[in-house]
Amino acid sequence: MPEIAIATEKLTRQFGELTAVDGVDLQVESGQFFGFLGPNGAGKSTTIKMLTGLLVPTAGRVSLLGIDFAKHPVEVKRQIGVVPEGMGLFERLTAPEYLEFVGRMYGLDKPTTRKRSEELLEFMRLADRSKTLIADYSHGMQKKLALAAAVIHGPRILFLDEPFEGVDALAAGALKELLGRMTDRGVTIFLTSHVLEIVERLCSHVAIIKRGQLVAQGSMEQLRAGVPSTEGQTLTLEDIFLSVVGEGAERPQVEELTWLT
Amino acid sequence: MADVRADAPANGTAGEPARSELPDLAEQLRLVAWLRWRSLRNGLRNKNRRLDLLGMIVSGLFSSVLVIGIAVALFFGTKYIFDVHHEHYLGLLFLALLVWWQLFPILMAGFAPQFSFKSLLRFPLNFSTFYLVGLAYGLADAAAVAALIWMGAIVAGTLASQASAAPATLLVCILFATLNVTMERLLGAWLEKLLSKRRSREALFGIFILFMVSLQFLNPLLQKHGREVKAAIHAVLPYLWLLPSSFAGDFVARASAGQWSAGLLELLGLLVYVLLFNWLLWRRYTKLYAGEELSEGIAPAAKENRFASEDVDDTDSLGFLPPQVGAVFRKELRYLKRNSFLFFSLVIPPLMVFFFSMQIAGAHSGPFRKGISPDMFFPGMMAYLVLILIAPSYNSFAHESRGIQTYFMSPVRFREILLGKNLMTVVIVFVELVLCVILVGVRVGFPSAPVLLATLMAMIFSVVGQLTIANWSSISFPKKMDFGKMQGQRNSGMSVFLMFGVQLGLGGISALILFSGRWTGSPWLPAQLFTVLGAAAIGGYFASLDSLTQLAEAKKEVLIETLCR
Repeated sequence: MPEIAIATEKLTRQFGELTAVDGVDLQVESGQFFGFLGPNGAGKSTTIKMLTGLLVPTAGRVSLLGIDFAKHPVEVKRQIGVVPEGMGLFERLTAPEYLEFVGRMYGLDKPTTRKRSEELLEFMRLADRSKTLIADYSHGMQKKLALAAAVIHGPRILFLDEPFEGVDALAAGALKELLGRMTDRGVTIFLTSHVLEIVERLCSHVAIIKRGQLVAQGSMEQLRAGVPSTEGQTLTLEDIFLSVVGEGAERPQVEELTWLT
Repeated sequence: MADVRADAPANGTAGEPARSELPDLAEQLRLVAWLRWRSLRNGLRNKNRRLDLLGMIVSGLFSSVLVIGIAVALFFGTKYIFDVHHEHYLGLLFLALLVWWQLFPILMAGFAPQFSFKSLLRFPLNFSTFYLVGLAYGLADAAAVAALIWMGAIVAGTLASQASAAPATLLVCILFATLNVTMERLLGAWLEKLLSKRRSREALFGIFILFMVSLQFLNPLLQKHGREVKAAIHAVLPYLWLLPSSFAGDFVARASAGQWSAGLLELLGLLVYVLLFNWLLWRRYTKLYAGEELSEGIAPAAKENRFASEDVDDTDSLGFLPPQVGAVFRKELRYLKRNSFLFFSLVIPPLMVFFFSMQIAGAHSGPFRKGISPDMFFPGMMAYLVLILIAPSYNSFAHESRGIQTYFMSPVRFREILLGKNLMTVVIVFVELVLCVILVGVRVGFPSAPVLLATLMAMIFSVVGQLTIANWSSISFPKKMDFGKMQGQRNSGMSVFLMFGVQLGLGGISALILFSGRWTGSPWLPAQLFTVLGAAAIGGYFASLDSLTQLAEAKKEVLIETLCR
């Protein structure tokens, strides 16, 4: 039986009256490239924050690699890498300084940290900006650095919140290749993105959240099977997403903007 | 598809842009004022912002007292000048206004809120409106408002002494205000290119701090070299006639004496200045209006060495510390070096020791003729040192910004993070302490051994005791701050309240214990008491770290939300 990398039971988070995440049960197997989708405000970021220890659940349980997050947070954090919403960078450090800081926080020794930092900065094409403060980086460069920091300690699970946002096509291609290789080696990747084409191309499994509740979960084939289609039609992830999320959703009425069209 | 043309709006058919009339100049100005007002008002929805507004009102009241005080002085000064017929001094008043109006905004620019009126360019403003909005922004500046109030005082002073000269003063003040606001905007536009770079801003701020500190030495220097300074000013005065302030003052002086023909020349001189600077600003804004970006120069991309040799050193100078504590300490050190405000503030304590030693310690001819003995001076200076250096610890996550997430994502307990940060504070206090002890020793002389030891033990008690409370404050009442900025860069109201309360309490206890040696006739008693208290403070500090780690976990959402905003 394959190892379960990420498991949640009745994961719930409330903000006052609002229930942002409502009893989510997730199961992600080791080595899966898992896409987590949902419309704006559906609860994606709240869920990923709870999975990475940045937010305390109101109820429910998170376990990563079989370890209970609430009971052993340090042990769990040692195994995971995160590119959070906002990236979590110390902007007054340079990229090598930041990677050194992160490496040391994960307990890597100095030579290992330095060697990995150099390799990562070369790979991310940031090596020639090694003396520039992170504050002076472009958004895409900051994203690449955040990704480098998330993998410097060799995590077994990688959480990526919109990892390709603002990253140029060249770098995005290299990153996708890197992430693909990581899953080949058994690393589990949990990714949120609004770009459905990226998720469709990269992810083997997908979950869709709507108004705080999971409305679909499974492999692409399982999701396709769950959505009605005409004979011979191959549903894209966008078709599935619109079918699952679109039901009952209030779509903007273009007809109302008559003065524009 | 619906027949959109059937529902087309009255002021434009569907598929065509609506051709509504653009708002007139007054309406556009009103809209800009409304925008600024809504920005301020919406900011107050947040509880912390409301507390900040309270702080702004309090500081505004203090500033108002200062501005009104100077206005009263200018009123009586102007009245006196007319009463004793020394109208040739009026130019100096206008010179002071000119210097204030031009210098203050430049110095404040490094840490003033950045709200560029250029962002309005995306709207269909006509150029005249754009130009006037630019000037209006200049008039809304704190320095300009103060200067306008002071000009009002000058006009009132003229009216009170020689009403016939008041129209001339009023005319000159209007022209002088126009000149100043134009000049300030022009200088501002020129400086924007410089100030758009963070390093330049921070350097400017550093100069400002050093300038403010050096002002402390002005009084002693004037006491010593007052006559020479006065003579030097008199020697320079004749050469100031070409300045617009001299034209302004001389016109009023001549008008009051009825020499209108000579006065008109002065007025013409002032007008030339007004027209010249308006022409220059018009040219500048024309480029800006056309879309040329004048403030954000792109630095040439210098090819950097990929990895400097310093990065290849694998020996860890902080190897004796747990790696996480060492990492946080190293990061704090780098932040300190790059935060010009904090970095320059480290220069202040030794300078203050030097300054106070000149003023009140030792025997000299100042107000403290007998001087204060080293036994009194040394503990006082050390209390001041602690007061200054511990203050940032009450909001120690202020500059982390989004980096706070890294702390919570990393496999560390918060105690390591607090230890790394507190270690940095202790090192700073230690270095400053050594510097100040040497300085006090040289300038005033060392205190007696019991007082020296008691003071050092008191510092351990005070610093370690405060760090425990400051850690709690940092986690419970965080407030984000920006590098190289001062305006709006205050700790949260609660942490300020806490800091003053704790420092007053600890200061009172320490003073009582220090005096207990005199009262009981046991000179070593304070040192013994402080040693016990210091040990207790250290024990309490380490005992608190686990509780604070739990508190940080409970408060992490507030911390992340506040600092990542």
